[in-house]
Amino acid sequence: LTIWVPPVTAAGSHRARDGQRQGSHPDRRIVTVWCPDWPIVAAGVAAGAPAIVLHANRVVARSPAAAAEGVVIGQRRRQAQQLCPDTVLLDHDPDRDARAFEPVVRAIGRFAPRLEVVEPGWLCLGARGPSRYFGGDQRLAEQLVAAVHHEAGDLATGVGVGIADGRFAAAVAARRAGRAPMVVAPGASPDFLAPLPVAWLHVVGEADPELVGLLARMGLARLGDLAALPAGDVLARFGPPGRHAHHLASGVDERPPGGVEPPPERRVEQSFDDPVVQLEPLVFVGKHLADQLVAGLAAEGRVCTRLVVMAETEHGERTDRAWYRAAGLSAPAMVERVRWQLDSWMMSGEVSAGVVLLRLAPDEVRGDDGDQVRLWGGPSAADERAARAVTRLAGMVGDQGVLVPAWRGGRLPGDRYGWVAASTTDLTDADDTAERLRPRPLDGGNSGGGGGVPGRAGPWPGSLPAPSPAVVPAAAQRAELLDASGRAIAVSGRGELSAAPATLAVAGRPPQAVTGWAGPWPLDERWWEPAAHRRLARFQVVTADGVAHLVLAEHRAWWVAATYG
Amino acid sequence: MDLAAAVAPTTLARQRTLPVADPLQPLFPEGALARGRTVACRGVAATSLAVALASEATVAGAWLAVVDVPWLGVEAVAELGVPLERLVRVDPGETAVASSSGEVWADLVAAVLDGFEVVVTRVPRRVSAAMLRRVLARVQARESVLVAIGEPGSLSPDIALEATTPVWEGVASGWGHLRGRRVTVAASGRRIPRPRRVELWLPGPGGVVAAVEEPIGAPAPTLRSVG
Repeated sequence: LTIWVPPVTAAGSHRARDGQRQGSHPDRRIVTVWCPDWPIVAAGVAAGAPAIVLHANRVVARSPAAAAEGVVIGQRRRQAQQLCPDTVLLDHDPDRDARAFEPVVRAIGRFAPRLEVVEPGWLCLGARGPSRYFGGDQRLAEQLVAAVHHEAGDLATGVGVGIADGRFAAAVAARRAGRAPMVVAPGASPDFLAPLPVAWLHVVGEADPELVGLLARMGLARLGDLAALPAGDVLARFGPPGRHAHHLASGVDERPPGGVEPPPERRVEQSFDDPVVQLEPLVFVGKHLADQLVAGLAAEGRVCTRLVVMAETEHGERTDRAWYRAAGLSAPAMVERVRWQLDSWMMSGEVSAGVVLLRLAPDEVRGDDGDQVRLWGGPSAADERAARAVTRLAGMVGDQGVLVPAWRGGRLPGDRYGWVAASTTDLTDADDTAERLRPRPLDGGNSGGGGGVPGRAGPWPGSLPAPSPAVVPAAAQRAELLDASGRAIAVSGRGELSAAPATLAVAGRPPQAVTGWAGPWPLDERWWEPAAHRRLARFQVVTADGVAHLVLAEHRAWWVAATYG
Repeated sequence: MDLAAAVAPTTLARQRTLPVADPLQPLFPEGALARGRTVACRGVAATSLAVALASEATVAGAWLAVVDVPWLGVEAVAELGVPLERLVRVDPGETAVASSSGEVWADLVAAVLDGFEVVVTRVPRRVSAAMLRRVLARVQARESVLVAIGEPGSLSPDIALEATTPVWEGVASGWGHLRGRRVTVAASGRRIPRPRRVELWLPGPGGVVAAVEEPIGAPAPTLRSVG
């Protein structure tokens, strides 16, 4: 057991006194229970086995065995597999995580009814009542650890319990707890936070990573540095997101002073004349209610940070749960929580009849800081909308039917960019997208091209200059290039033509008179690799109908590779 | 009284349109692509024209989907100014080609319209009027813009663009390289009382779309004696 008490220094005691005044309000004592890498636990990975959970090709959770090999959160799949080749790959499935977390929530709910779930594997509750009942914060923390182990088995990943003033300090304490619970003495939260790096703001406070990076670059490396600045200056420089970060760093709870309890008429609910027994229709109604609620709050410039979802059956069984998110719950986030709650409730065997009432009540709201994500250049609403549509479309036409461009490199139009399945990449992730599309220079030594057009001295010497053809069929079409006397034109080894081209016929269509042509641009690609070796000459040919083609001479035949459509 | 409704700003005309590149603005009565409309691009430069229409909107953050245009050249799309990070290609697959009523195509385009503000596609020849009505209703509901490449079939577009009289510049007999194509693009349709017409470089030097002001300098390389 770790009990954190502030060191007695002049500055520290002064700050502690400040904290005491703001922070020792008994309702602000918060317990956080944090199960690290919960998705690994939820997936039922055997203790000691290396496993990683992936979302959009990036690691979102890993087992202790994988962590020991150097796998870290946020890593790409291939890097993780290089480090740990035997690892089990698991898909990210928040529904599974939520279902597995349900017994833990219930066990804790038995002795602390006013708990709120942040995400599967992470919940917090007011410490005051239960702490008194169990005889102190330390005893409460031990009880909680025992309860989690009783329900979820002996977790290989451990369970962290932190008790402090305010949600942020409690969440940080839980993550730093390790095997033994960490209790921060009342009023000591500001001093507890002060020496910690500002990155914690992003890790648990849901502050924007760009803002956190900026603070660090400005030399505000520790939470104490930020807290020491006058609140007004921080607000003036960084706006509301900065003020939020300042609140967190100062050990003041996220709820701004004077935050209002929403009036009860903000609740939205739907009663059903015909009891509903299935999950999907309920979630659908939940979506409708969430949209209504979020739109209503947005009209007042507010977001909901704590949402209570309640459902009741015909027989009077009810489920009542609070969900918390520091950055505010968007409508899709609310729907997700409705689904988690109802799914596990219906699976619990407590439900003997259909649902007749579903209610969403905002329990805590705060002023909207503006669309923080957008402010700092993250995915826009249009990006999210497109990404959702892409997922749906892949369900209709298959993964290989929904494609996005990816840089490949090459000297022929169809070679330079390829198409990859959209499901293999995260469309809203700027880094992923930049890496997918960034033209990469040729790795030295194999510039077999030669004969390129001067002026295209780019990463791929030898490719043709812009404009590029707009029509690039998957396979080149056969063509006939004839001279004025109707003889097929031959190309010498040095790319010289036997005569000036007069007519071009593509894929058996009637020949068109050639009005202009240019070339050859010879290409000798991958000569070191017999199977892939290509030796050809490229020409641009314009015909009398005003159409321009990219024509290739290869294997003593003529091909139209692309058309400038 | 609903306060939110009372103080909600009126929708500005600009919010009901998507921007288009400057050289293309004279083709549209609004000087931009009106949301919820359909545009058909025909003629020699249909593909380039359709992509050029979408470029400015995608730069402003809109997403572009191309449905059933598997031969689209990505480099040309990039040169026309479309940020590739907001380009998605959807292929309907074999079943759509086989279906006689175009039902698969219609379902697919309707689903694409849910997520994308600009959709470029080819209208199947045999698509039924009922299917087409469903797609058009979705275009209007989603306030997207549907751009058809080639013959629009039974679709009667709000605006029909046709590119004619293409002239390529830059190549002669065995030298130079393609620099640009001059085309005349004419706009007509039930939303356009008097046909509109512009002369464009489509594509112009560097692959971008530009208005024709004066011919680009002749690319003739000067040969000079070096000894």
